[in-house]
Amino acid sequence: MTDPQPILKADGLSKRYEDGVLALDNLNLEVRPGEIYCLLGANGAGKTTTINLFLGFIPPTAGSCLINGIDIAKDPLEAKKYVSFVSENVMLYGNFTARQNLDFFARLGGRENLTKNDYALAMRRVSLQEKAFDQRVKNFSKGMRQKLGIAIAIVKDAPAVLLDEPTSGLDPKAAAEFLEIMAELRTEGKAVLMSTHDIFRAKEIGDRVGIMREGRLVMERTREELRHEDLNRIYIDYMESEKAVPAA
Amino acid sequence: MTWTIARKEIVANLLSYKFFVVLLLMVLLVATSLFIMYRDYSGRMADYQLIRPDPGEPIAVVAPNPLSIFAKGLENAMTRSFEIGVVGIDVRAGQSSGNVVYAFFPAPDLLYVVRVVLSLVALLFGFDQISREREQGTLKLMLSGPVSRARVLLGKWLGNILSLAVPFLLVTLLGVAVLLLDPDVRFTAGQLGRLALILALALLYLAFFLSLGMLVSALTRRAATSVIVLLFVWALLVFVLPNLGTLVARQFVSVPSVRALSEKREQTWTREVLLGISKGENWAEHMRTISRENDRMEEDYRLRFERLVRLSRNINRLSPAASLLDAATEIAGTGIGEEIRLKGEVVRYKNAIIDAIIADQTAGKREVRYAAFAYRPRPLAEVFASGALFDLAWLAVFNILVFALAYAGFIRYDVR
Repeated sequence: MTDPQPILKADGLSKRYEDGVLALDNLNLEVRPGEIYCLLGANGAGKTTTINLFLGFIPPTAGSCLINGIDIAKDPLEAKKYVSFVSENVMLYGNFTARQNLDFFARLGGRENLTKNDYALAMRRVSLQEKAFDQRVKNFSKGMRQKLGIAIAIVKDAPAVLLDEPTSGLDPKAAAEFLEIMAELRTEGKAVLMSTHDIFRAKEIGDRVGIMREGRLVMERTREELRHEDLNRIYIDYMESEKAVPAA
Repeated sequence: MTWTIARKEIVANLLSYKFFVVLLLMVLLVATSLFIMYRDYSGRMADYQLIRPDPGEPIAVVAPNPLSIFAKGLENAMTRSFEIGVVGIDVRAGQSSGNVVYAFFPAPDLLYVVRVVLSLVALLFGFDQISREREQGTLKLMLSGPVSRARVLLGKWLGNILSLAVPFLLVTLLGVAVLLLDPDVRFTAGQLGRLALILALALLYLAFFLSLGMLVSALTRRAATSVIVLLFVWALLVFVLPNLGTLVARQFVSVPSVRALSEKREQTWTREVLLGISKGENWAEHMRTISRENDRMEEDYRLRFERLVRLSRNINRLSPAASLLDAATEIAGTGIGEEIRLKGEVVRYKNAIIDAIIADQTAGKREVRYAAFAYRPRPLAEVFASGALFDLAWLAVFNILVFALAYAGFIRYDVR
């Protein structure tokens, strides 16, 4: 049986900013349905640049980002129908309730016919307490906002999910709940690309883990390959090595 | 999708503290303005009842215009009485002299409220539309969906202009309804139509400032920077440019003062009277000479003044505030164009009266009754043809241009 086609694909992707900094250098990466890909790397390694390129926020210098086979640079509106995004620090409209935020972003995501019940289901799935549904978001903790951010991604029901350091700043309980939701998304067949600093959770949840350094993907391992390896050690080795070798 | 964003903006405005402050400000300002201007109108109406000529008196006076409550313009100059005598038209001291554009600024009419205060409010609605969303992180989430930046911008514009226009119209119309409770304030159907046009112009003007706020917001990374830039641009557009145009125009066109005209008129009169006495000639011929010379002088003054006004207006049009002022006062019937026409009509009336005086004197009539002065304001079609339509279109062009620039800025905006 052949592997399913990748939902997310970076093909020779490079990005050089106006100030001359090469933020991304010939990145090749694929994420298939039902797969969680964790991108590790220090600050400035190119993780967030990769996410921004997939969302079409910045144009690539070379290469392409394909979402469900559609080049984001060529047809951004069509490509964005197939992707949801959760940022490091989910910021929503503080004066709106959780339900109002969910309704607004669901409609923007193209889901115009959802009911109150659909929103309630999505918020229950991310373990948001019932009493919070109609509370103003400005009173939410970071963990609650992250959960609502994932609920927004869930109601959009896109085949790909991009997450930019989503567990950063979460307490252990909230982070554990977050990983459970990620596992559910995998079961549903979503292709998840997550940038993170959290090596332990990347090993726990990632079907594949890539390490980036200075804009290049210098290592890529599958869950099977990592089963008997110390990812923390590998990460430190790659960060400390004089000259990193790009992953094959 | 556009309406989804517009609705979000409306709900966000309704839930914000800013909106209620603005609403309160709008109620206070519009109510105060209408009250002050209503009192002003009532005072002029009372004066009119006192000074209106009795049948047969050669005096030209027009009744106060109720639309001056909203756009005062040159109403004071237009409602004074013009007495016709053997020396011509008695132009009273204290009437406006030089460039009458200055006379616009003090009246706190609705036009002033819109032009100065509500333009700032419109900027308040627009100044952080893009930069605030970026700062609070919602712009990224919004644009991660399949929605174009054009729709985001249009939705924001639509939501905010509705948030601004609906309370403004409601408050103003409520004020008009209260005014109509006074039997002395009567609007004809045509005047109500003109009022609707003035309100439409005001909305077009406010829409420009909203778009301007959004433009600067799309060019700056931080809302604080946007505020500083916009305050500068606002002061330039509302205060500096409209006055600058008038000052510049004065350098190119010289217009004699009303005082100089009056002196010249006196000299002509004295000369002709002395000639009449010394030579014992027919006094009717001297009256005609005085009238002719005065008319020539008035005509020269009128032509120079019109040239000054035209040049001032064209330079002032660099600012939408000047276009609003010109178009709204002309539509209200209190503008410079209307005043010039009224003056022309008064001169024609004066010539007819002088002809009648001479004819009656020649015929030896002792008790004479002269025809009353009748003035009908220019029809709307004529008002539009003489520049109001251009100003209306110009305001629309300002709007389209600034919105297009805001779009161009937003397309290049770095959402990260």
